[in-house]
Amino acid sequence: MKHSDTIVIGSGLAGLMAALTSARRGKKVTLLTMGSGSLSLNSGVIDVLGFDENHAFVESPRKGIETLPKDHPYKKIGMDMLEKSVEAFLAFTKEYHFPYRGSLDKQIMVPTAVGTLKPTCLAPHSMDGTGFKGCSKVIIVAVEGLKDFYGDIIKENIRPLLGEDLVYEIVTIDTGLTGGRDITTLDVARWLDHDKGMTTLSEALKPYAKGSETVFLLPQILGTSGHAGALALRGKLESEVIETTCLPPSVNGLRLQKIFYEALRDSGVDIIEDTKVLRAVRKGAKCTAVVAQAAAREKTYEAEKFILATGGFYSGGITMREFEHPKEAIFDLPVWFVPGEENWSNEQLFADKPQGFAMTGIRTDENLLPLDGNGKRVYDNVYVVGRNLGGYDFCFEHSGNGVALASAYKAAMM
Amino acid sequence: MSELTKAIKEKTESMLTADHCLSCTSCMAGCPVMEASREYRGPKLVGPAHNRMRFSQEDVEESLDFCSNCKSCDRACPSGVEVSTLNMLRRAEYYKTHPHSQRDDMLAHGERMAKLVRSMPFGASCANLGMKIGKSLGIFKSIGIAGERDMPAYASKSFLSMFKDIRQTSSEKKIVFYPGCFINENDPEVGVAFVKVMQKNGYEVLVDREFNCCGSPLVVTGYLDEALEHAHNNVARIYHWKQQGIPVVACCTSCSLMLKKEYHELFDEPEMKEAAENVYDAFEFLAMLEDEGKLNTKFGSLTHHLLYHVPCHLKSQGFGTPAAHILGKIPGIKVELADAGCCGMSGNYGFKQDKYDISMKIGERLFERIATSKADTVISDCGTCRLQIQHGGHVEPCHPVEILAKAYGEG
Ligand code: SF4
Ligand code: SF4
Repeated sequence: MKHSDTIVIGSGLAGLMAALTSARRGKKVTLLTMGSGSLSLNSGVIDVLGFDENHAFVESPRKGIETLPKDHPYKKIGMDMLEKSVEAFLAFTKEYHFPYRGSLDKQIMVPTAVGTLKPTCLAPHSMDGTGFKGCSKVIIVAVEGLKDFYGDIIKENIRPLLGEDLVYEIVTIDTGLTGGRDITTLDVARWLDHDKGMTTLSEALKPYAKGSETVFLLPQILGTSGHAGALALRGKLESEVIETTCLPPSVNGLRLQKIFYEALRDSGVDIIEDTKVLRAVRKGAKCTAVVAQAAAREKTYEAEKFILATGGFYSGGITMREFEHPKEAIFDLPVWFVPGEENWSNEQLFADKPQGFAMTGIRTDENLLPLDGNGKRVYDNVYVVGRNLGGYDFCFEHSGNGVALASAYKAAMM
Repeated sequence: MSELTKAIKEKTESMLTADHCLSCTSCMAGCPVMEASREYRGPKLVGPAHNRMRFSQEDVEESLDFCSNCKSCDRACPSGVEVSTLNMLRRAEYYKTHPHSQRDDMLAHGERMAKLVRSMPFGASCANLGMKIGKSLGIFKSIGIAGERDMPAYASKSFLSMFKDIRQTSSEKKIVFYPGCFINENDPEVGVAFVKVMQKNGYEVLVDREFNCCGSPLVVTGYLDEALEHAHNNVARIYHWKQQGIPVVACCTSCSLMLKKEYHELFDEPEMKEAAENVYDAFEFLAMLEDEGKLNTKFGSLTHHLLYHVPCHLKSQGFGTPAAHILGKIPGIKVELADAGCCGMSGNYGFKQDKYDISMKIGERLFERIATSKADTVISDCGTCRLQIQHGGHVEPCHPVEILAKAYGEG
């Protein structure tokens, strides 16, 4: 039986952040994972709060959070811990050569793959739309053969947002990555990891670069390693380069995932991959171990403290076989939900009200320890983070990675 | 209905996992072949998507041939889809109506060839010489085997014949060692080191000559009916030992994965699952001894900085990397994880001429890691990973158990 100080279950942003923060506090950490986690599926920018309960745009996440109801995870986490988690994240990304920018006071506008702008709190330089400021020409860079990035649509949508007076031009790059299956942004990013690709791209774009007058808007293709690709291209063109969000697999999410794994290795976290945690071993108010499935047999992992970061419905952290009976399978924690079928979902998927089903999750106290329906603690040493938490619709309010980051940080610090 | 068609028809469990696919693309981001080649359409489309869309046996996905069965997709998948196994089942189905090449026949049947070689006087050295000549004459290349590579040389004595001369201290505590083809024929020193390690831990090591090849090379080349025969034989032997309470332990991670997990995923027979409970990877077994406080930690000191390439087929066993932890206990040893993904060899995949470039491209990350690391020795549990490390990394790697044996000192 392996013994650790802290066991973290799950390898999405919340799990990775919880494991890293715990390890950096000097704890002996074991991370148990199944699947590669959510970061390859989301753009890896940190939305803290984009919209309030009435779906009004939030200028300052810090102020927006004040207006949230008391059962919202942010209220349990507290502003102090949210601030510290942002600080820790910014410091960590800088240390691993992928510095993020932003603050809780003001949104960063990130261009999307259809040419709209979406608010987020923390983003790498290469996705920070602030860079459009002061430019007079936007060069939209399409890639031959790359689906899901249409220069025309982007141009049409972004023009009213950035200003009709700017000049917009579309340039299509031939990467030579033709033949065989359709290419993805990940293929192009890998091509740009090498000098040959980067030189081809920069040579093709150079004629359009006019210093600070020009901004290049590209799909998420500038390399798979931190900000190296963006830095190189910006250097060669002496102009700003900005990437849009994209469909999965998300290059930027993978960049973030990569530095997390580097940092976890550097801090001595023991990572056990491809193992599904099945159940907990309980002694009184404490969990003493979890049992996980390995090939041909179960393995038991003991620890003093457990952090649950297995995600919501989508990643199977919360399941529902029967209507109104959602379950958390490992610790069998009580799962809170919006009762009544009529409140379960809105007719429109992208409505101006949170979706009932999306609020489903585990309710906790201020320490992120799980509570039952009567507000009584269920475990003294099992902390709940990220999408396992109930009481918020991350999609509606744009708060997914923010809640993940801050709750993970707090749970690790407890 | 032939044995195979029956086997596949009834094999619903892996097939059913295809229905759990959410089209999330995680497997695509993780597939090393997709990264190296645009000819492969990738796990999501070739595996679960095609599985749901196909309507007849003739409905063949051309690029399926590119899958190396490295299982990175299975590990990336959040929904438990057994993508690689789906691919191997489909490949077998394809070869039911299409002929195998001479090359595939040769790569799949290494065990048969070895038996022939061992039955001749001076067979091993003649065969090695023959392979050198064959290579220089381009004979291998002409049938589609990568001319750039050396075929792995036969050891002058197989492990099983060396084993006869090892004097062991007998013990109540016994394990059966499953060497697998590569250790037995090409790298017997790994087996010798393993016996020593087990002896130092108070175990007597047995062998079972009735075991045959685990079938991994057969599965990946589409000889699934033969693989099933191997499975039946090996599972019966594992049962035999299980009844006596003697575990079966393997040092080769592709063998242990096959015995522990792939038989059951491919053929779905309950006995396979039960037998699997009696099979262990070597370091998994040692880690269990450690958990019980029974691992002999009287290590001498060694001076090594090790770079550990963790084989894909070890990662797929879901117990982490205990070798890194155990070797880390030896005074003077530093273990660094290479963390460079798949090596690109994937059993016999890298030996195919038409896959050689892909194989080497996949390996680039690891080769570069080896070149820039300050480590003095590269270790890896898988025999074919070690061949790739030798070929592309230009170093002489060894199995982690050889380092452990060294740490226990002479005698
Ligand atoms: S087994 Fe390996 S090569 Fe085959 S699809 Fe999966 S990841 Fe790709
Ligand atoms: S990772 Fe799994 S669920 Fe996602 S696309 Fe691949 S097979 Fe489907």
